Amino acid sequence: MSGLRKLAFVLFPTFFFIVVFFLDVVRGAVTVLDDGMDYVRGSFILLAFVMLFFYFRSSRRGRTENVVREIGKLLVATLFVLFVVLLGTMAPSVTFVERDFALVPANPLTILMANVASIAMGILAILLLLTIRGLILHKRKKGIRRNFLIYLVLMLASAAVALPVLIVEVGFIGSILFGLAILMTIVNSFKQNWIVYLSRREKIYGIIYSLALALLLIVLLAVVTNRGFPGKAISYFSDPLERFVVLNMIFGAVYFGMAFLSTLFHLPTADVFERKQSELSSLHSLSRLVTQVLDFSDLVRTVTQMTREVCGARSSWLELVKKPSKEQAIEFDVVATNNITTQDIDTILSVPESQIRSLILESRKVLLIDSVSEDRRTKHFKGRKLEIGSLLSIPLMSQQTLIGILHATSEEAYGFDRDDIDVMTTFADQVRIAIENAKLIAQSLERERYHQEILLAQQMQKKLLPQKLPTHPAFEVSAISEPSHEVGGDPYDFVELGDERIGVVIGDVSGKGISAAFYMAEMKGIFQALSKSAVTPRDFVLQANEALTDSLDRKTFVSLLYAVFDLKNSTATIARAGHCPVIHVRGAGHTFIRPGGLGLGLTKDDLFNRSTEELSISLLPGDACIFYTDGVTEVRSPSGEEFGVERLVKSIMDRKGAGAETIRERVWDNIRRFAGDENFEDDLTLVVVKWHGEAEMSDISRSARALSGDIRREIE
Amino acid sequence: MTDFKINHREGDGVSVIELKGYLDAHTAPQLENAFQTLLNSEKYNILVNCRDLSYISSAGLGVFMAYIEDVRKNHGDIKLTNLSARVYNVFDLLGFPLLYEIFKEEREAIGRFKVRPRS
Repeated sequence: MSGLRKLAFVLFPTFFFIVVFFLDVVRGAVTVLDDGMDYVRGSFILLAFVMLFFYFRSSRRGRTENVVREIGKLLVATLFVLFVVLLGTMAPSVTFVERDFALVPANPLTILMANVASIAMGILAILLLLTIRGLILHKRKKGIRRNFLIYLVLMLASAAVALPVLIVEVGFIGSILFGLAILMTIVNSFKQNWIVYLSRREKIYGIIYSLALALLLIVLLAVVTNRGFPGKAISYFSDPLERFVVLNMIFGAVYFGMAFLSTLFHLPTADVFERKQSELSSLHSLSRLVTQVLDFSDLVRTVTQMTREVCGARSSWLELVKKPSKEQAIEFDVVATNNITTQDIDTILSVPESQIRSLILESRKVLLIDSVSEDRRTKHFKGRKLEIGSLLSIPLMSQQTLIGILHATSEEAYGFDRDDIDVMTTFADQVRIAIENAKLIAQSLERERYHQEILLAQQMQKKLLPQKLPTHPAFEVSAISEPSHEVGGDPYDFVELGDERIGVVIGDVSGKGISAAFYMAEMKGIFQALSKSAVTPRDFVLQANEALTDSLDRKTFVSLLYAVFDLKNSTATIARAGHCPVIHVRGAGHTFIRPGGLGLGLTKDDLFNRSTEELSISLLPGDACIFYTDGVTEVRSPSGEEFGVERLVKSIMDRKGAGAETIRERVWDNIRRFAGDENFEDDLTLVVVKWHGEAEMSDISRSARALSGDIRREIE
Repeated sequence: MTDFKINHREGDGVSVIELKGYLDAHTAPQLENAFQTLLNSEKYNILVNCRDLSYISSAGLGVFMAYIEDVRKNHGDIKLTNLSARVYNVFDLLGFPLLYEIFKEEREAIGRFKVRPRS
């Protein structure tokens, strides 16, 4: 309600009351009863109280926080009203005379006193009703709300019956409604939920206030229902108001009488309730902790601290199961202690005669030793100054495995009760979740770190592939390498050998991923080192096998193909170590160049040397040599079909007249299309060499340079 | 996705391992286990029948390399039979026929083991 509206809701009733007062004074003077006037008067009073009701209601929205203070305020208001009412009783010459069954005030002072007393009682009744409503609806439930509404309806109906507009005699209906309303006050008076939430101190004040309020209301009721001045005054002022006031005062007296008794009975359990509340808040803060504490040592320290708070323990500690080693006895690691030394913990748990851990390991249930001095299981405590009366040990279970134990001690025997165990069990569950979360977070951080390292490895590995392709007017090259994993991949490389010779190598390490990436790095070194000293390609392969075999593990081997292009003599000399053959394209035909040779790392003995061959081919302008790894021919379509050599050859022949770049692109597009959405299962590498020869050198040189520029850009 | 099965039978002092399906990096450990089990029970005459082997990757070939040394040290051997053209091609590319004896039929291979344990 806005400020202006509030003001109006006070000013209008005040104005109405003043009008009623003057009306009464005038009527008293002339002693003429006019029925029309009665209606106007009655409407003014009704309207004034309705507005006052809304005024008071608007000033108490929501749940009352300090219930006891509300009752205290009500007590003060009641005292004040009682004072006003009694003032009228004691004032001299304030009296009514009865004339024709109607009450007539003796003088204007009587009218004033009667009006003031009636208005005060009416306001008190409104306040009572609103306060009780707040208390009853403290915890809202459908039934509670309904019962209160029934009372409201009955009470208002009972008051309405007395309105002067009703001409017919309805006295007996009024009595029935009145009776039912009183019945409902009793029903409603059982709703005293708010008491439970009071602290002990509040409860004591609550008892005093409720009792005083109930008694004062009874006094007021007695005064009002008596045929003394107050009773006559309100009866004279307004009959419906009298009903309203009487009913609500009865309600107040009954409700606060009940409140007094309930609070009195709740008093012995106030301590328990307060403890429950602190337990609840501890549990709550732990749950919050679960999501907040990432640091493991912080977490376990907080857990032991909270254990002491939750069950009022003297000391507490947490131990976790070490990573279970095979078949061996489970070992524990004390990760946090609170108010106890590790020596004492050892005395309690680690001495040979202590069975506490093994008992928990067997039963996987809570272990409670009520009296350490009397219990058989803790007889080893005797003679040691431990200051422990009782011991509570809670297993932390993750699914079916024990991950740790939370211990708490009390200096008193029988220091833990049923509630402590219940709360601690719940608490232990939270602790378990918190610990597992902390471990998971640590793991995911670790994983993230590994991922970063892999990314780094990936970048480094990309640098192992040639950053710059050789450029020569007679010799055009295009290459691509695609690893199936983040790292790894089939290596290829080029080397300028001098004397217008260019070496091309392509290889494949068995296996994929990190290990393959390491061998790839090793091969890069071997190639760069040996290619220049080796006299022939075969020589290179033999030396590479010698160098690699010892560093490869038994099930790993490397296939490799090495070709030396002689630009002066237009030849290519090729040695092969178990690798896919070279496809040599000339005109409309193609041949597989496949000199004999074992994979590197398969064997070191003479067999390797004997089986390694070397082949030389002469090259004509327009020829192309295609190097590839088995990943290319083994690419699978979504239906499981292999790309195969035939498709590879066909893709090459489609573009046989074009440059190296175009051929490479054509093959790559076909592979991509063939694989569809499937990922490559193996690393793929493809190197295309286009031979332009010396004849067309001058013509080609420009385009070759342009092309190699393009390739460089692509690589970058 | 990949389907791979190993069947093992004993006969004539030779342990016969039948491979079926795809032998790649994912299924290679199964073959490793099979070899290891034979070596643990000191069975060194091993015949690998590849009749139903539809694919072998370099990781699969690696398994043979991993055990051949131990097997031969104990006067045994790993011999291969019934290779499909496609699988043979993979073996051949790497030069495996130089390192392993490969036969068309089991019958031919069984007679070629050097040491025949008394059965």
